[in-house]
Amino acid sequence: MSETSSLPTSGTTSSGPDTVGLRLPADGAYVSVLRTLSAGLAARLDFTMDDIEDLRIAVSEAAAMVLDEADEGADLDCEFELGETGMSLSIQAAAAAPSAPDYENFGWQVLATLTADAVIDSSPGSYAVRLTVRTSLSS
Amino acid sequence: MTTDLSRGGGRPSVEETRRLSAVFFLQLRDPDAWAEQRGAIEDELAASDRFQNLSSKEPRDALLLLHHPLVEHCARRFRNRGEPYEDLVQVGTIGLIKSVDRFDTERGVEFSTYATPTIIGEIKRYFRDKGWAIRVPRRLQELRMQISASTAELTQRLGRSPTARELAEAIGCSVEEIVEGLESSNAYSTLSLDATDDDSDGGAGQSMLDAIGIDDESLEQVEIRESVKPLLEQLPPREKKILLLRFFKNMTQSQIAEEIGVSQMHVSRLLAKTLEQLRQSLEEG
Repeated sequence: MSETSSLPTSGTTSSGPDTVGLRLPADGAYVSVLRTLSAGLAARLDFTMDDIEDLRIAVSEAAAMVLDEADEGADLDCEFELGETGMSLSIQAAAAAPSAPDYENFGWQVLATLTADAVIDSSPGSYAVRLTVRTSLSS
Repeated sequence: MTTDLSRGGGRPSVEETRRLSAVFFLQLRDPDAWAEQRGAIEDELAASDRFQNLSSKEPRDALLLLHHPLVEHCARRFRNRGEPYEDLVQVGTIGLIKSVDRFDTERGVEFSTYATPTIIGEIKRYFRDKGWAIRVPRRLQELRMQISASTAELTQRLGRSPTARELAEAIGCSVEEIVEGLESSNAYSTLSLDATDDDSDGGAGQSMLDAIGIDDESLEQVEIRESVKPLLEQLPPREKKILLLRFFKNMTQSQIAEEIGVSQMHVSRLLAKTLEQLRQSLEEG
């Protein structure tokens, strides 16, 4: 238990940024899995404990927004792009007729506060939230 | 001494509690001595309300009741730590029972001196063993404690929140385990939708389920009601009256027929016609 296992120090390799994908049923019960994965990845990118906590909340909000729009029985497609000082995350689901991006609601305010950058991509057939977070060590 | 015991009806005096405690322990542990001294003791305590109330009970029960405020006192020290006060009192009472059963009267120490650490120990044990909403392996429970301790320390030293790697190095485990430990900390308390909010800032006794808003069903009706209003005004008086009696006074068609002086069949037809008219006008509007 006391042995410190070695981990890749950075997500960036010569062939471009590392990506991690996760596909889940678009169901609130699975969001915790997404949160856990996000936290796990962030821990490896030298995010601080506070950053990780923020990320968890941001991911929950983003997932909630996408779940609201997702079609019945759709999948939640999540992709993480790992950089040296942060990560970009896209959460997307099939949505036949998604509503227009709502940049006013509370969930969005939370998301915008906790992330370096966040955007809603709503088009017929698909609804996605993309966000970028950085470790506070880089600033 | 005799006269002092029952004085001052407010807070029970410590001396009285001690005296009563000694009496009940004598009764419990040494029935022979008790039988011998009973008369004298009862005379001595004749003026004590508390003695009168408790002496009818079994000595063990009397002791538990007598010392119960001690449990409440101990439990209060652990309030606001995420466990209901009542539960802590219950667990503390187990500690009190153990103390009463194990207390050695020969030692010459006060019962409260012996009981307090036992009661607190029981409450602490409860926090350690049962405090977790989801049972988490001991290893992770300890890891969580290490993480929170190290986080506080490192935050001080670094002037910022530590990273998982820094925590891992400080504790001497892997980043994996830190992540695992963080995950387990979410298991300490789960939220039930039916759980009440006992922070009691106004919304006491309200469950989370109550707090989740739903659209008021009647809200949808407002619009319909408002658009029906002018249409109702345009109805002939008889039709209007039939609607009123049927839907506002909840009368049956037969009762309405009697009231207006037409047949029930006629009421039925008029109602159907009126409603159909209203529906059409609504849809057109």
